[in-house]
Amino acid sequence: MRKVILITLITAALGVFSLFLVPMNTALRPATGSPQLVSIQQLPDFGDQCAWDNVPSSVAFRALRGEPFDMYPGQSVYAAAQNGGEMVDVMRPPVRTIRDTYPTYSFVAVDTQHDEVVLQDNNLWAIRVFNRLENSPPGAPLSVPKRVIMGDKTDIQYNNGVYIDPKNGDIYSVETDVGDKVVVFDRSKEGNVEPTRTLNTPHRGFSLSVDEEKQELYVGIQYPPQVPVYRKTASGDEKPLRSLKGESTRLSDTHGLAIDTKRKLMFVNNWGHVSDYLTAGTGRFEDASIAIYPLAADGDAAPARVIQGSRTQLNWPAAMSLDPDTGDLYVANDVDHSILVFKSTDQGNVAPTRVIKGRKTGLNHPTGVFVDKKNNEVWASSFGNATATVYPLNANGDVAPLRTIKSAPDGYQGLEFGKVEAVAYDSKRQEYLVPN
Amino acid sequence: MNHPQIAAFARLAKENTPPTRTIIGQKTLISRTMHAFEYDAIHDEIVVPSPLAQAILVFHGGAKGEEAPARYIQGPQTQIVGTGYGALDAVHVDPVNNEIYLPIARDSVLVFDRTAQGDVAPKRILGGPDTQIRFPKPDQRGGLPNVAVDPVRNLLIVPSSGAIGDRRPASLLIFDRTASGNAKPLRVISGPDSELGGGKPHIYAPKGWIIASAAGGAIGVWSVNDSGNVPPRWRIPVTKITGMNVNGVEIDPLHKEIMVPTGNGNTVFTFYFPEIFD
Repeated sequence: MRKVILITLITAALGVFSLFLVPMNTALRPATGSPQLVSIQQLPDFGDQCAWDNVPSSVAFRALRGEPFDMYPGQSVYAAAQNGGEMVDVMRPPVRTIRDTYPTYSFVAVDTQHDEVVLQDNNLWAIRVFNRLENSPPGAPLSVPKRVIMGDKTDIQYNNGVYIDPKNGDIYSVETDVGDKVVVFDRSKEGNVEPTRTLNTPHRGFSLSVDEEKQELYVGIQYPPQVPVYRKTASGDEKPLRSLKGESTRLSDTHGLAIDTKRKLMFVNNWGHVSDYLTAGTGRFEDASIAIYPLAADGDAAPARVIQGSRTQLNWPAAMSLDPDTGDLYVANDVDHSILVFKSTDQGNVAPTRVIKGRKTGLNHPTGVFVDKKNNEVWASSFGNATATVYPLNANGDVAPLRTIKSAPDGYQGLEFGKVEAVAYDSKRQEYLVPN
Repeated sequence: MNHPQIAAFARLAKENTPPTRTIIGQKTLISRTMHAFEYDAIHDEIVVPSPLAQAILVFHGGAKGEEAPARYIQGPQTQIVGTGYGALDAVHVDPVNNEIYLPIARDSVLVFDRTAQGDVAPKRILGGPDTQIRFPKPDQRGGLPNVAVDPVRNLLIVPSSGAIGDRRPASLLIFDRTASGNAKPLRVISGPDSELGGGKPHIYAPKGWIIASAAGGAIGVWSVNDSGNVPPRWRIPVTKITGMNVNGVEIDPLHKEIMVPTGNGNTVFTFYFPEIFD
């Protein structure tokens, strides 16, 4: 009997309560012709418009309902100040992630014997090899590499300078961060494989060149700036045969390197950040430059000539490549979105002979350049949009590429990350400031 | 590295969101190895080291493109010196007391007036054996840590761990903010339970929390009042959660978030962390 009474009371109560609910149903509410309050909901105070990365959708949904503290059941989270004496692990996953999921191409080289283009990927830590005639113009699908060298065994991280052995297709690649080495892969290697051999180099190696006649390997080091020269087949801790370094060299934050074995010249470009790291207060700034040395320059040798000044248009010059016949020097000019071409004999404050630049070129912060003399083409790799583009060797001005290798959608602007080691928060603009 | 830009991203940016602006190019005087730098919210300025040229650059807060710094500190009187390996990694600005702090490779911290420019001497130098400051020397492998100021309690926090391979325990040295010369720290956090990691601490002054890298790829939180072999109050084991390393930390008190950059994934993570802000 009690049970019956209880059920009756509950049913009656629900019935009465439902009467109060009916007017809240907006579908049944008569139109008033003016704005009405139809609902009150608490907004989350964090991550309000972002998807939660790496979080199951059910978890993300609960979090957006304002339940971040029980997303991961069983894990302790303290809402108030922790007073010490014990350590609390907070296991919540990140609410947001900034990263680039596409490659960021730094340097390019061509294996003319096997008709392959080799690209260094600074973002996803890989060497990607494409058919030389691959072409993915706007509207076409992304280019598919023939093979990829990538993985923890490869020792590839922030690799920039790349050299292809013209005889056997071996790939030489130098790491620019803490790797401190040149890795060499024979042409058959792909996937997560160990290098065929490695050569330990000074910190901050950026560029490579090889004198095939003398079988010598040149490595451009950013800072402390120097150009050590090794036997081409050197490995392990083998010391350089000689090294160009010192105040008289005028090397400073060295980037691109190219050698002209025909004219016995070495070209090195510099960003002009100067200091002797052993001596306090020696820092100074200079304009960017290209210093030209005898090929066998050693020690604290002064350059024979220097290209420097406002007319040069140099603006964070990166890779350089030479036309072995004419001696023309091609320079990837990052910030100016251009490829500059200087004559072998240029010096002082001179304008480049030719400039490949403009909207049609597709160049977007080019940092890699390679002269393919066999096919009379010049390649550029763009750090800003995951592309490599190729032009006639005599191109000048705003010319469209002959072909394009692309690894990101049309119009994509990459994040251009190159080792994210810091972040500062601009609270006024609500922006993250992220350096490379 | 290649292309040493400073890129700005909207707070809610996520994967493949392009930057809202970048600071790039010869005129900016920036270079690689900017491992810790800061935004001064009071004066709307960005303070950043130019590691390869022994300089401190100060930009307008909204700087973009090839904008030159508003001023910079560089020259023989500055006594600025980094390491050949890590260069001059980190700089801290104290906008409340109008000072810039620069750890250098002489086991010391230089303090400049915030508005200083050109070839100026530091207003004071903290360094000497009694300070217990241990940084890499110019010819040693390793980078310089950043320091942090608690303007509420007038404290200076200095991570101390020496060069790569230095097996002595790392420390967080806590000084009076105006300490100078061979001053002893007020307190030292150090020991196996302290789980100290790299440098780059941040202070959440209202609570007196030190937020910094912790051992094992984590972010740890200590109190400015802690001393001795004390564990962090909280720890976010970033590597355990994400599989990636920790290269620093930044805080956003308004949204109760912390940001963690990771060099081995070219990624910036944002963690919701209300515990330290509430």
